[in-house]
Amino acid sequence: MPTAIKTENLTKTYRTRSGSVNVVDNLNIEVEEGEIYGFLGPNGAGKTSTIKMLLGISYPSSGQAWLLGKEVGDMEIHRKISYLPEKPYYYEHMTGMEILNFYAKLFNIGPAERAAKATALLEKVNLASDGAKTISQYSKGMQQRIGLAQSLLNDPVLLFLDEPTAGLDPIAHVEIRDLILQMRDEGKTVFISSHELSDVERICDRVAILNKGKVEQQGKLDDLLKGGRIEIQAEGVPDGAVDSLRTDGVIVSNHGGRLIIDAPDSAGSDGFLDAIRTAGGRVISVIPRRKRLEDLFVETVTRATERIKREDAR
Amino acid sequence: MSQILAIASTTLGEAIRRRVLLIILMVGLAFLIISPSLNQLTPRGERMVLIQMTLGILKITSAILAVTLTVYLLPNEVERRTIYTILSKPVQRYQFLLGKFFGSVGALTLMIGMMTLVLLVAFVIQQQTFDMKDLGPIIRSSIMLVFQMSLLAAVAMFFSTFVTPVVNFFLTGLVFVFGTLLNPLFEALGERGNQPAMQVITKIAHYAVPNFSTLDISTNAASEAGTRIGGSELVYMTQGMLYALAYIGILLILSVLVFDRKEV
Repeated sequence: MPTAIKTENLTKTYRTRSGSVNVVDNLNIEVEEGEIYGFLGPNGAGKTSTIKMLLGISYPSSGQAWLLGKEVGDMEIHRKISYLPEKPYYYEHMTGMEILNFYAKLFNIGPAERAAKATALLEKVNLASDGAKTISQYSKGMQQRIGLAQSLLNDPVLLFLDEPTAGLDPIAHVEIRDLILQMRDEGKTVFISSHELSDVERICDRVAILNKGKVEQQGKLDDLLKGGRIEIQAEGVPDGAVDSLRTDGVIVSNHGGRLIIDAPDSAGSDGFLDAIRTAGGRVISVIPRRKRLEDLFVETVTRATERIKREDAR
Repeated sequence: MSQILAIASTTLGEAIRRRVLLIILMVGLAFLIISPSLNQLTPRGERMVLIQMTLGILKITSAILAVTLTVYLLPNEVERRTIYTILSKPVQRYQFLLGKFFGSVGALTLMIGMMTLVLLVAFVIQQQTFDMKDLGPIIRSSIMLVFQMSLLAAVAMFFSTFVTPVVNFFLTGLVFVFGTLLNPLFEALGERGNQPAMQVITKIAHYAVPNFSTLDISTNAASEAGTRIGGSELVYMTQGMLYALAYIGILLILSVLVFDRKEV
């Protein structure tokens, strides 16, 4: 797979009164073409700073970055990429149609094509009947949708979406999420920075978790979320057989005769099921519990924060 | 070029809808409408006093409009994040800056044009005659005012690339006052001063700060001599325009150089 985004030791340093701080610290990531890549991290982790450097809006203090094989800053690349910022603002006196017309002019798109594209995109983001309304009349969800429409004007190969679903109601949330999935189906690469972990878990192929400017975890979601647990419920298992079920990492509890076995999925369920049946017990349910992205996120950030505290204390 | 034009027309559209600018414009227009009637309060009700007074009002209102409009142009775009969506498109920073500048100059031209029109109508009503001998100097003065205010906008644009709007407001105001009142003095001192060191300093001050008074022909417009346009006045006006364009060019180049490396 060709690489859509690549960074090599990308660093952004800001001078403060007490010295200097690396808001992005030797960042090394690779995003393949055609995937949805989740860029996660707590507030102040350096997500937006990274996006701004990738877009050439801000300059790196050191390191390098490439988009679609060309070094960041190449104006030709800007014809193929697109950006939806967090909480975007659009000129309120303009209508949805005028906004799209304005952004299309920035791509030197001719008047006839501009009008056709704007109409098609308004249709695509469900704003066809609201194109003549001014932005000041748009709800937050509508503004986000017009934002997405402007980001699709150049039929981009690579999209940067910063908190695309933040603060939206559930309906608008689902609509935006579906649009993002549609973009992947069209072969576009989508780089999403988001705090909405449930969305990220549903739509992203790979993620990176950033903390204090450093990548703490990155990889395929399926790989990162491996290591879930299995919960087996059974009844009628004699007390004598329960002890044999307690092995490393396995929690067995008895709730009024109902036995609950909570085991890592690496232990497998077959052994437990055989043991229960052999002992004369009856299996009620077997529920595999996948590790959630939220668990991984909290675990990663907590571990990183504790490590930084330890390093600072030294 | 189409990027600059697109940004300029959007800036113009936004500027003419900004409430604070409209309020300043309305106050200026109100003064311009009532000022001809104040002429009766002057000892001899002189035409010269009337023209000077109205052109003075026009100039002050235009200066306030120019500064208020320009000091927030860049900071607002950064604060509202519109600059991010624009610069992520194939738009160079210099194109963005020039688009914002030309948009603000367009808005200023429109507003000065509107005030001039109101002034002319009020003048005709008060004088009860339509005589180009009276109106011509006012129109010429307004044309020069557009150049003067474009220069002031360029000063504000330059400062806005590296200082906050409040500081910019005071700095630009200071440059305007300095360039209007003190620059002619520095010019004279630079040429005729006794001490060489003082001559150098005053010459530097003279060239570093644009001489806004060079672009002000309101005194001439008010005098009898200004009622007819002669060859020398045309030359003076052309020289003034070129002077303004040169300074605007220099200020825009400096603005682009600073803005190009600025973190937004």
